[in-house]
Amino acid sequence: MRKLTFLMVILLAFILTFSAAAQEPVTIEFWHAMGGYNGEIVNTIVERFNESHDDIQVEAQNTGSYNDTLTKTQAAVQSGSAPHIVQIYEIGTQVMLDSGIIIPVEELGREVAQDDSFDWGKFLIPVSNYYNVNGQLNSMPFNSSTPILYYNKDAFEEAGLDPNDPPQTFEELKEYARKLTIRNEDGDVERYGFTLGIVGWFVEQMTANQDALLVNNNNGRDGRATESYLDREPVVRFIELWKEMVDEGIMLNPGRGWDGAKQAFLSGRAAMMIESTAQVTNFTNNAENDGYELGTAFLPRPQGVDRGGVVIGGASLWAVRDHPEEELKAAWEFLSFLSEMEQQVYWFENTGYFPVTKAAVEHEMNGQFFAQNPNHLTAFLQLLLSKRASSTQGALIGTFPEVRQIVEEAVEKTLQGDMTPQEAMDEAASRVDRSLEQYNSLYE
Amino acid sequence: MKEQDYDSHFSVPYLLILPSMIILTLFLYWPTIQSVILSLYRTAPFGARRIYSGFDNYINLFTDPVYRASLLRSAVFVLITIFGGLAVSLILSVLVNQKLKGIKIYRTIFFIPYAISPTVAGSLWVFLLNPVAGHVNYFLDLLFNVQVPWLTNGFFAFIAIIIATIWKNMGFNIIFFLAGLQSIPDSVYESARIDGANSFQIFRKITIPLLSPTTFYLIIMNIIFTVFQSFGIVDIMTQGGPADATNIVIYKLYRDMFVNFRPGLAAAQSVILLILVLIVTFFHFRFGSRGVHYQ
Repeated sequence: MRKLTFLMVILLAFILTFSAAAQEPVTIEFWHAMGGYNGEIVNTIVERFNESHDDIQVEAQNTGSYNDTLTKTQAAVQSGSAPHIVQIYEIGTQVMLDSGIIIPVEELGREVAQDDSFDWGKFLIPVSNYYNVNGQLNSMPFNSSTPILYYNKDAFEEAGLDPNDPPQTFEELKEYARKLTIRNEDGDVERYGFTLGIVGWFVEQMTANQDALLVNNNNGRDGRATESYLDREPVVRFIELWKEMVDEGIMLNPGRGWDGAKQAFLSGRAAMMIESTAQVTNFTNNAENDGYELGTAFLPRPQGVDRGGVVIGGASLWAVRDHPEEELKAAWEFLSFLSEMEQQVYWFENTGYFPVTKAAVEHEMNGQFFAQNPNHLTAFLQLLLSKRASSTQGALIGTFPEVRQIVEEAVEKTLQGDMTPQEAMDEAASRVDRSLEQYNSLYE
Repeated sequence: MKEQDYDSHFSVPYLLILPSMIILTLFLYWPTIQSVILSLYRTAPFGARRIYSGFDNYINLFTDPVYRASLLRSAVFVLITIFGGLAVSLILSVLVNQKLKGIKIYRTIFFIPYAISPTVAGSLWVFLLNPVAGHVNYFLDLLFNVQVPWLTNGFFAFIAIIIATIWKNMGFNIIFFLAGLQSIPDSVYESARIDGANSFQIFRKITIPLLSPTTFYLIIMNIIFTVFQSFGIVDIMTQGGPADATNIVIYKLYRDMFVNFRPGLAAAQSVILLILVLIVTFFHFRFGSRGVHYQ
């Protein structure tokens, strides 16, 4: 009798747990690297999703920088507690493809979720091109940006330059910077013509803008990259310009990273700079508050060199395969929700990151958003007018984060005068080659 | 009450050290063994592949000029930071050891840097040394009409992280020096003064030797601080740059592990670091106590 009661109790407990589970919504973990204001926008979108989906609960968590997020994902995968969706920066694409932990979003949508209504052609070509590898879309484009040239129109007028005629070539950039530089009676520079933070991304973009490749095998798109082209003319030419301008005292070297250059430009210590399009809103507001007019332009390129264009930067959302089917379906539901027009428009207008779908762009065109915000239009046109080629599709490199650091070190060595641009880039190229060889040998 | 007889059973001593052994094994020995094992493999990101490679990671490290330069740089960094730091701290502790009005406030002020986190300390220095809006350059410009490229020139960046690290550890050193100074009995000073010694002689012949146990302890603690804890300051201030000028071993290790995703290589570096620290500690305990005077 006692045994029977015991068995009944167990059974009852079982039934209760299961029925409770059936009512519980499916919980999806979403790790992202959006901090501060952008993080709040992510939270708002997630809340909207949760409110409109009773059966799914998305838990968004900020996991630090892009690099931290990648590191934490690795640790989580190895300890069996990986999130369902994770935001990874564009240079983590190859390493995610090689990780063996992801499910391509196209497979997730088509085969797992059987979502036939989803339009795979809805994304802007330059954006989906980056994340399209092996014939399918591997991750969901999310926050996309490219660099553009920002300049202070008031400073242009002061220096006798036409504020509506920004520099288009390397030569013009130098000439303009020279005119924009102001020195006091001691010869100290009070305002620099130009500034640029030492960030590897700019070197990559300037290379693409000259329609040149960063690595062999068509930027690693036709096969694994085995050789770096950092020592070739397009890269070296840009580093040379950088060094010449810093040496001449018409360009401020704010050191590695983003903050120094941004601070210099916003405080009026530099009249031109190159920064991410994600800063358009921020810079425009700043200019309004400080009472000057902000101008934007396409990236300059050497005279006589055909324009390639810019490569999409930012990050995309990856789905992790090792989860129950029910949860994967819920993850798809969320990813698909993010690509809907309302969310795209909200995201774009609040953060400055590009809308990544055609519908959202059309909506913004019709709503006169671009007409009222010409700086956003510059950012957008530069992307759309980019040539469709491997150069602007972006390089796939397994050790891209390391490559970026090698490039940044090379720039520093050049600016310090330890090496000439060619010497520094030769060294960087051979270091990248070695890094590629070591990485590739892991997957042979 | 009857006194416990700890020799009553052979297992008693073992039982007594068991709790600390469990903790040490879990948090020290086991990870160490793991590191040694990991250093013999090349591991793909996400652990997808693991290839046994023997001592390849070590060979790669020692044939890499970047790593050798980093080792040398760290040695220079540690030596300057420790001796510079201890000298400054000693002078300051002698100063705050005087009976002045509000001396407790001064002591607190000197201790504050130690209480804040390395990240905050690093950020403060970045603000101060900022080439555009930094106060240090503002005053240097005002006084000497010079602009120092603190964080964008390798040499000055190296100096900057040394200054920041010394400043950060100063509070800790001062507290210990102060305790040491106050434990020196006044009678010793009195008799020295009666014998006609001047302040410098007293400092040189009495204070320094009698402080040597404290100094000895501080040297070891400072080596550990400088090698491991300066990471936060370097990460915030220079990220190992410009052009590797401040890339000390602990930072390179971090980068290889968390940015370059080479767990094997990073593990090999941590094993090398462990061996180096063991050697330093051994030499100090073996020979370092010779010049130390205990009362």
